Amino acid sequence: MVAARSPPELPTLLGVTVRRSLIVGRIPMAISTAMLCFYSIGFALAPGDLYADIGSLLLPVFAVSGALGGATVFTNDRMKGVLEYLVAYGLTPRRVLGNVLVAGLVQVTVILSVGVAAGVLTHRLAGFAITAKLVEALLLYSFPMSYLTVGLMTTIGVFWTALSSPRAGMTSSVGVLPLIGVAPTTGVLVAALALPGYGVPILFGSEALVGVALLALLSQSTRLMPPERLLSPA
Amino acid sequence: MTLCCRAVDSGYRETAVLHEVSFEIREPAVYVVLGPNGAGKTTLFRTIAGVLPLTSGEVLIDGVPSDRQASRDHLHYLSHMEGMPDGLTVRECLEYYARVERAGAADVERVLDLLGIRELSTSFTSKLSAGQRKRVSIGRVFLKEREIYLLDEPTANLDPKVAREIRSLILDLAKDKIILYSSHNLFEAREIGRYVIALKGGRLALFERMENVRSSRFVVGVRTLNGSGPLADWPRTGDYFLKELAGPEQVPALLRELEAKGVQVRELREMENPLEDLFL
Repeated sequence: MVAARSPPELPTLLGVTVRRSLIVGRIPMAISTAMLCFYSIGFALAPGDLYADIGSLLLPVFAVSGALGGATVFTNDRMKGVLEYLVAYGLTPRRVLGNVLVAGLVQVTVILSVGVAAGVLTHRLAGFAITAKLVEALLLYSFPMSYLTVGLMTTIGVFWTALSSPRAGMTSSVGVLPLIGVAPTTGVLVAALALPGYGVPILFGSEALVGVALLALLSQSTRLMPPERLLSPA
Repeated sequence: MTLCCRAVDSGYRETAVLHEVSFEIREPAVYVVLGPNGAGKTTLFRTIAGVLPLTSGEVLIDGVPSDRQASRDHLHYLSHMEGMPDGLTVRECLEYYARVERAGAADVERVLDLLGIRELSTSFTSKLSAGQRKRVSIGRVFLKEREIYLLDEPTANLDPKVAREIRSLILDLAKDKIILYSSHNLFEAREIGRYVIALKGGRLALFERMENVRSSRFVVGVRTLNGSGPLADWPRTGDYFLKELAGPEQVPALLRELEAKGVQVRELREMENPLEDLFL
């Protein structure tokens, strides 16, 4: 019999996964950050509440589309047999999913931080006050909606990759993820513009919907992502 | 240390691949796993490694199911894919493996030298050639000693010189380890293996010591110094005149016969590998 002993703890690999996602996903991240800065500065230079009313709704649209690193790392790792290797040594699919989710959230934090800093600084330098409305819009919508949507987008990407045969290019799960990612935030933008009197319920309602969808998907992770779904193509 | 497969059935969702595969390994040695494409070699490795669930049967490492962590800690598994993470240099890649293996920084340095890849240590793995990537990926099995090694085509895509070096390292390793080694290279299989495990259609076709594996035909090739001469009516492959014999014990008689006919023999060699029969 195998001698009873407690093996050393398996590493989480969280730090290296985040670092790899920043490297692998650097190009969409850079483009997204640049676009976010451009629009953020543009709205920040406009007088009145335009930055708070519209700019804050646009931030998640651009932020989300650049946070693909986590999902990209997962897809590449499955294709190249890294996940098979990790599972053989005892890493669980849940841990792998957790790592790529955190990696996506770190990316969107970087993108948002740069974009918001550029916008707020420009707004202030242009002589406009940082209003409570702007702060609320950023803290209660832009940031949480970005995090929730990146979480949902990454989770969909991971499950899609795990459940489907590998494909390359725009038809791959990562290729279509930006479209999935921007759908909720674009919908909110359109709805808020079409129904100006219902801004608060639209914003909070959309956050709640995305959050519930994310939790529902995560609750199915064990069923949708058993270890054999992480194997590379034979 | 023992590795025991009992009536193993395994596969992918609706596709059953392995059927009733049973064997037990106790002796440390290289066990070459052979079989045509689709025979179930990779599925067998994945099932033993615990990454593919059993449909029925059991795989035990010293009596413990192989998908338990206590068993995983005795296994090294090198899949047919390189398993090389993106976005890392060679050194970072080995450090990544070392963390998974729970090996140390000194082990990374040792492997860089052992596999002769120190000069690549700052190169990103995406910039390496296929052979260089394979060498780096093989490096992980040398980071930490374990008792059982599952090596799925470890020398595929390597040039002959590097493949020979890798085989040599693996043979050194095999002195007191159990190594399951799959390969499509039959000459490599004969060189490295002490036992043959042959799979056909997902079933165990043969588990035998290498020296007991005999070809159904024994064909020798004769290369001469003085042209075809009396061998003109023999079938040929390249420079070799072919002759089927009952067995290797007839070779001395054949040499005497050739000498009597005035044939100057430059080389006489066995033309068929008995392991080929396992693929047919």
